Amino acid sequence: MDFQLSEDQRALVSALQGILADHNELPQSERFSFFWHDADLQAQLEQSGFLDAARDIGPLEAALVTYECAKNVAATDTIGRGLVAPLACPGLVFEGPVALVKEADLGRAIRNLPIAQTLLVECAEDVRVLRLDPGKILPVKSIYGFPYGRLADAPDLSAAEHVPGAAATMRQWWRVGLAAEIAGASAAAIDFTIDYVKQRNVFGRPVGSFQTVQHRLVQRHGHALAGYYLAMRAAWSGNPVDADIAASQTQMGIKELLFDLHQFNGGMGVTTEHQLHFWTYRVRALQAETGGTHAAGLDIAANRWSQTAKPSAASQLSMAGS
Amino acid sequence: MEFGWEESQLDYRRRVKQAVDELLPEDWDETYVPESYASDLQIEFSREFCAKLAERGLLVPHWPAEYGGTDSPDWNHFILGEEMKAAGEPRGPQYMNVNWIGPSLMKYGTEEQREQHVKGISSGKVIWCQGFSEPNAGTDLAALRTRAERDGDYYVVNGSKIWTSYARKADWCFLLVRTGPGRKDITILLVPMNTPGISVTSFPGLIKDGHLNEVFFTDVRVPVENRVGEEGQAWEIVTYALSFERVGVPRYHTGLDALDLAVEHLKADGRWDDPVIQSRAGMLVAQFEAARMMTYLVVDQRVKGMPPSTDANLSRVVALQAVTDMKDFLAEFVPDCLAGGNHLLEDYYRINIPAGITGGTNEIQLDLVAQRGLGLPKGRS
Repeated sequence: MDFQLSEDQRALVSALQGILADHNELPQSERFSFFWHDADLQAQLEQSGFLDAARDIGPLEAALVTYECAKNVAATDTIGRGLVAPLACPGLVFEGPVALVKEADLGRAIRNLPIAQTLLVECAEDVRVLRLDPGKILPVKSIYGFPYGRLADAPDLSAAEHVPGAAATMRQWWRVGLAAEIAGASAAAIDFTIDYVKQRNVFGRPVGSFQTVQHRLVQRHGHALAGYYLAMRAAWSGNPVDADIAASQTQMGIKELLFDLHQFNGGMGVTTEHQLHFWTYRVRALQAETGGTHAAGLDIAANRWSQTAKPSAASQLSMAGS
Repeated sequence: MEFGWEESQLDYRRRVKQAVDELLPEDWDETYVPESYASDLQIEFSREFCAKLAERGLLVPHWPAEYGGTDSPDWNHFILGEEMKAAGEPRGPQYMNVNWIGPSLMKYGTEEQREQHVKGISSGKVIWCQGFSEPNAGTDLAALRTRAERDGDYYVVNGSKIWTSYARKADWCFLLVRTGPGRKDITILLVPMNTPGISVTSFPGLIKDGHLNEVFFTDVRVPVENRVGEEGQAWEIVTYALSFERVGVPRYHTGLDALDLAVEHLKADGRWDDPVIQSRAGMLVAQFEAARMMTYLVVDQRVKGMPPSTDANLSRVVALQAVTDMKDFLAEFVPDCLAGGNHLLEDYYRINIPAGITGGTNEIQLDLVAQRGLGLPKGRS
C-alpha cells in the first residue's frame, strides 16, 4: 500500500504539469466562451506520448494524465484517446481525440465529438469504432465545458470496425476516466474558489473567514480527494467494481459541488469571464455519463449482492483484504 | 502509488481472523453484541479476550518489544482494528489502552508508570476510562472545572466528569484536572477508580448502555507520583495522545458489514428487488470505500513517518458522511431494525448516533482542515 506517487510517476506528472502550465492561461478570445478546447495542447499531449501511457506504462499512469489534464482550464480529450480506446480496443491504432457514446445515445449531442477523429460506440456486448468525417459533425451549443456535437447522419454501425465483447471493458475504463476527470476538475474548481474567498471581502472580512463557507469547502475538498484515490485505485486494480465505485462516488458529489462553489463565487461565478464555469460545467457534463451515480450504484449492488455472488461478496473489492 | 496488501499483511489478517473465530464464544452475536462493547458484560469479557490476544502476540503488535509488542508496522495495528470492529469490538474499552493511553505513557510516563501501566495494558487485563468531558466542558476542554489542589505528596481532586464510557468497570482513570486558573493550567493524573471519594452513576440514553456515566470526585487523594508529565503539560500530552486516535475507528468496515446485514434483511423481507433500494445501497458502498481510501491515506502517512496533517481530520469528515447516510438508509428502508427487527442493525445505528461528536466534534474537524489545511482565514472570535 503506497498512496504517494513513485519516482517514475512523479517524473511523469511533473513533465506533464510543465506542459499544462504553458496552456493554463485563458486567451482573450475565449473570455466569452462556455468551453475552451486548446488544440495545440491536445496535439502536444499526443506528440509527447502522454496519451500512450496506458499502453506504454500502465492504466494508473494514464489515469494520472487524465486527472492532471482535467485540472487545466483548457478542455482536452484524454479519457477517450488516452484511457478507454487503448484499453478497450488494444489491437487498434488511434490518432487524435476519441469520443465515447452508448448506442442508444447516438442521436444526442456527444461530448468531444467536434474535435474527435474516432467515435467508440458501446453496442450491447461489443464496441464499434467509427472513424469520423469532420464534415459530417454538427457542432451543438451548450453551457457544458466541453465541445459537443451531433452526427449529421445516422451511422452504419455494421460497416464500422468491430471489437467483439469489449463493451464491458469500455464502460469500466470510461468510469475510471470520468472519475479521474471529475476529481481533477473538482480539485481545480475548489482551489480556484479558495483563492477567491480569501481575497473577496464582504461585511468587512474575507468571504472565506465565515464558518459556513469554510465547512462546506472542506466537505467538497474531502469528497474530491477521496474521489481521486478511488479513481487511482480503480486504475491500479483493473477491477470493474472499483471502477463502478469511483464513478458512483465522484458523480454523487456534483450537486453539492456546483451549488457551493457557485454560491461562494457569487455573481462573478455566473459570468463566462470568471473561470469557475470551465471546471464546474465540465463536471456537470459528466454527471450522467455511463448512467450516473445511480446506475453505477446498481452495478455495485448487483456485484456485491446478486444471488450468484460468492458468499463473501466483499472479496470482490480489490482492497477488501479477505 | 499502489493499493495492494503485502503477503505478510494478508497473513497477519488471517491470523487475527482465526484468533477471533477461536476466542469468541458461540453466543457472541446473540448475547454479547446486543449489550454493546461498553456494557459490563463485554468489559468483563474483554479481560479474558485481550489476555488471550496478548498471549498470541496480537494485542499490541505495533508496540516495541520491551513493552510486549512485536515492533511490527502500523499497518498491522490498523488491520487488527478493522478486524476487531468487524467482530463487534471484543476488546471492549481496551482498544483505547492500545491506541493512545499506552503510547502516551511510553512517551511521557515515568519509569515506574511505564513499568506498571504500559506492561499492564499489554497484558490485556486492565480497564481504563478517560476523564476528559465535564457537564460544562466537552469540545471546549479548556473550560473544565474539576480541580486538583496540592496537599503535600498528594493532590486532592474535587469535581465531576461526564460521558465517561466504561467508568463503572474501569480500574484506572486517565484524568484531566485543573491545577491553576489559566485556560491551559491543566494536568493529567492517573487515578485508581477504587480510591475513596469516587462514585459513578449511569443514566440511559440513545446509545447503548455503559457509555453514559457521570463520575464524581469528592476529596479524592491521588499521589503526586501518579501525575503524568509536569503540571500544565496536559495539552501537549493530550495532543500527542489524540494524534494516535486521529484516524478514528474504521467506520467503513463496520458500515459495510451492517450494509450487508441490511441487504440480507431486505432480501428476507422480499424488498430487495426495488432498484431504488439497490442503487442507494450501492452508492453507500462507494461512500464507505471513499472513507476507506481517506483512512488508508492517513495510515500510509503515519507508517512513512510523515508529519501529521489535517488529512486525518478530513478522513473523519468523509467517514461521518457515509455513516450518516447509512443511518438514513436504515431508517428509510429497514425501519423495523430500531423496533426489535434486528438487534445487530439496531446496535450499529445506536452506537453511531454520536459519531459526529465523540473524539472531537465534526465542526472542530472542519475548522481544523479549513484553517490549517486549506489556509482559510480565521473568523472573528
